[in-house]
Parts: sequence; structure tokens; C-alpha cells
Amino acid sequence: MSLIPQILRSLKHLPPFPVVAQRALTLVNQPEVSIEELVEVVKFDPGITANILRISNSAYFGLRREIHSLHQALLLLGTQELLKIIIASGATRLFANGTPGYFQEHHGLWRHSISCALMADLLARELAATERTTAFTAGLLHDIGKIVLSLYVEQKFSQIMAVVEKRGLPFQQAEKLVLGISHAEVGGEMARIWDFPNRLRLVIHYHHLDRPEAFSDDMVLLIYLADLLVMMFGQDLGNEGLAYDGFPQVLHHFNLRERDLERLLMHFGSSWGEAKVFFGLVGDGHAVQRAHRG
Amino acid sequence: MTVVVGVADMKVSNQASHLLVTHALGSCIGVAVYDPQARVGGLLHYMLPDSSLDPARAAENPYMFADTGIPRLFRECYALGASKARLKVKVAGGGQVLGGEEHFQIGRRNYAALRRIFLRNNVLVDNEEVGGAKPRTMFLDLASGRVWVKVIGQNLVEL
Ligand SMILES: [Fe+2]
Ligand SMILES: [Fe+2]
Repeated sequence: MSLIPQILRSLKHLPPFPVVAQRALTLVNQPEVSIEELVEVVKFDPGITANILRISNSAYFGLRREIHSLHQALLLLGTQELLKIIIASGATRLFANGTPGYFQEHHGLWRHSISCALMADLLARELAATERTTAFTAGLLHDIGKIVLSLYVEQKFSQIMAVVEKRGLPFQQAEKLVLGISHAEVGGEMARIWDFPNRLRLVIHYHHLDRPEAFSDDMVLLIYLADLLVMMFGQDLGNEGLAYDGFPQVLHHFNLRERDLERLLMHFGSSWGEAKVFFGLVGDGHAVQRAHRG
Repeated sequence: MTVVVGVADMKVSNQASHLLVTHALGSCIGVAVYDPQARVGGLLHYMLPDSSLDPARAAENPYMFADTGIPRLFRECYALGASKARLKVKVAGGGQVLGGEEHFQIGRRNYAALRRIFLRNNVLVDNEEVGGAKPRTMFLDLASGRVWVKVIGQNLVEL
């Protein structure tokens, strides 16, 4: 029996996409963003400036001067870098709950998403792609379908893994076989409901390259590859491990060799310790509730 | 006490109270060695097969690569009194995504590098759990020298 109707019903109760992240999305790739525009964006979340300052001052950016204000952060980091931080901080609320169908760790999906965002950013730089902020954002949001599908995957996990093992199918195809829909497709639906830019929606929907359409946009391929590299890196691997298809044509498309993949992993691994400052953005949902009550 | 070995990291110890653990190996490889007589052991978590990729980086962090990390693991255990003849060697990780055998093969090359180094130095692997798509976490208990591998959703397996 297909669970699709039930799953689509749970999409009806989807909370709104966080407003700060949504507004920041509209500024991505704009040639010039003023401090006034940024202030307009962050004013919807009083806690966010503290987060921005913490990340900006972390060893990850390695600035020699301490940043005390949003304005300084804008000057010293530049618009696009600052937007990445704002988008990540703004999106945390989505990732506050556990996704036990996919990750043992309460914040596993958040950590995987941040890792993928940073890897996508690195890969975009390596490939001299201009849209690094888009890559970062798409990496951050590629698996949002897991937020909704976790509950269902948790119930059917052994059945899904049995399909992976007996038939040699990648995890998202096994998901579709057992549940009727994959986390990538659910994510695509969420992107539609939340009115994401079309390109971001396509990346989310096709990030496992199940359909020929996926190959029509470099950003889809870039996120697919970043996701794979993050799995190979291994930290915060999900319950399904590395059970996804490796498509050599993506490497050919970007003119990447195995040695280039090793170099990417090396760079990623070298900045890993500092990158973990992003993990701390997401707080414990319960703690927030307690704070509100107390 | 649990001592976490990070990515591109190594810990050696002669403290019986230590449980060394390294999480989520992916295509990386974990190597656990233990001398039951000296009660000395170590755990290495390396990422990549070959330091020729970036010798400067390898000098900074030898644990990133098989060819610089593995010799260090043995040497530091010797320094604590272990002897090569007595060392038990166990290996886990080297996972792969699905598909052919030509691309995305860092896990396979990580394992091949280890085999080459061990062959050259006459080191035998006592047990291993490598390849496949499963995420693995590896433990070495310094009191007993026992090594376990944990795959999510499955029972602990002793190597
Ligand atoms: Fe995915
Ligand atoms: Fe993913």
C-alpha cells in the first residue's frame, strides 16, 4: 500500500519557511547589497546577529580583526560570504528536530546539510563556478525532504535497506519502492510549497540524478557530487551509509579525475575542525522551549 | 574513558582504562594495532592513500595519508614498548558508493595502499571489515585489545 496520500497530507502542516532565510535568498547573486538591505533581512530574528558575529569571528574565517557589527562583517567578509552565514543561521529552525529515520544523532541532518553546503562551496570554487552562494544554499537544503519523510522511513527502514541490499538499488529508489516517494521528491514538493527559486527546487528534487532532467543543470550535478564527497568523507554519515549511485559521467562532465576528488577531500578535511563552528548554530529545540517558558 | 580519534587523526595509549573510538569511517580507513604483552595499542583514522598528493600537508598532518600515517602508528606503539612480532592488526572502513570499479574509488585505493605498505613490511592483518556501503564506527579496548565494529542498526561485531 502506498503511503503517498499520508505523506502528502503531512506536507499540508508544513510550517512556513523561516523568513530570514527566505529574504536572504532573494539577495543571493545580486551584484550589490547594501547594509540597509541586510538589516532589513536580519531584523526578523533578534538572535541572529549574535550568531553572525560568532561565526564571522571564528577561526574558520581567520580574520585578524574582531568583528563587532553587521556592518563590519559586511565589509570584511563581503556580501556573499555574509549571506551564507545568514542563510545557514536563518534555516536552523527547520533542522531543530531529530530525523531518526536517517540519522542516529539528533542533529545529524543539520550536520550533514552544513557539510554538504561547505563542500558545495569548495567544489564551486574548484570548478570556478560563479554562483558559490547558490551552491552553498542548495547544499544546505538538498535533503530537506528527510525532515518530513523521517517518520515513515523510520517505520520501514529495514524493509528499505533489504531492497537496497537484495536488488542493489540506491537508497532513494528503495525509498520510492517501499514508501511510494523518495526524500528528494518530497523535498521538491516542499520547495514548491515554499516557493523557492525554480533552480533550487530542481536541485532538491533531482539531487540523486534519478531522471534525465537532472543532467540539464550544472548546479544539480555539483550538489550531487558534493553530497557524494561528504558521504565518502564519512563524518555524520546517515543510517543508509554510502548506498547511492556513483555516476562517472558527472566526473567527465566537470573534467574531474580521481586525484581531484582526493584533493577536494583533503581540503575539506583540513578545514573540517574550524568548519564545525557552523554546527553550533542549531540549538536544542527543547532548550528553546524551556527558555520561552522560563 | 573514551578517547575519540578524529578524521585524519591517531591515538596510541598504554592506559588500560582507555577505549579508543573512531566514528563514521566512510571511505576512510581505521587501523587498530595492539600488543597484548606490553598492553600498548593505537588507532589511526586516515583519509587518503598517498601523501604525494600534497607533501607539505602530510608534513603538517601525517595522519591524513596511509603512507605517512601507518608508519607513525607503528613507531609510536614501539616507543611505548610494543613489539612488531606481537602486534595484532585489525582494519575497518574503505567504504564505497554503489557502481563500477573505476570511479569514486578512494575507499578501494585507501585499502590497496594499506595492503602495499603491509606487504613491504611483512605485516599481517589479523582481521578486517572493509568495502561496501555501510557506515562503520571502530573501537579498540586498551585493557583487552579487543576490537569492535559497529554498523548503525546492527549489533556490535568483534574483529
Ligand atoms: Fe539525498
Ligand atoms: Fe545528502
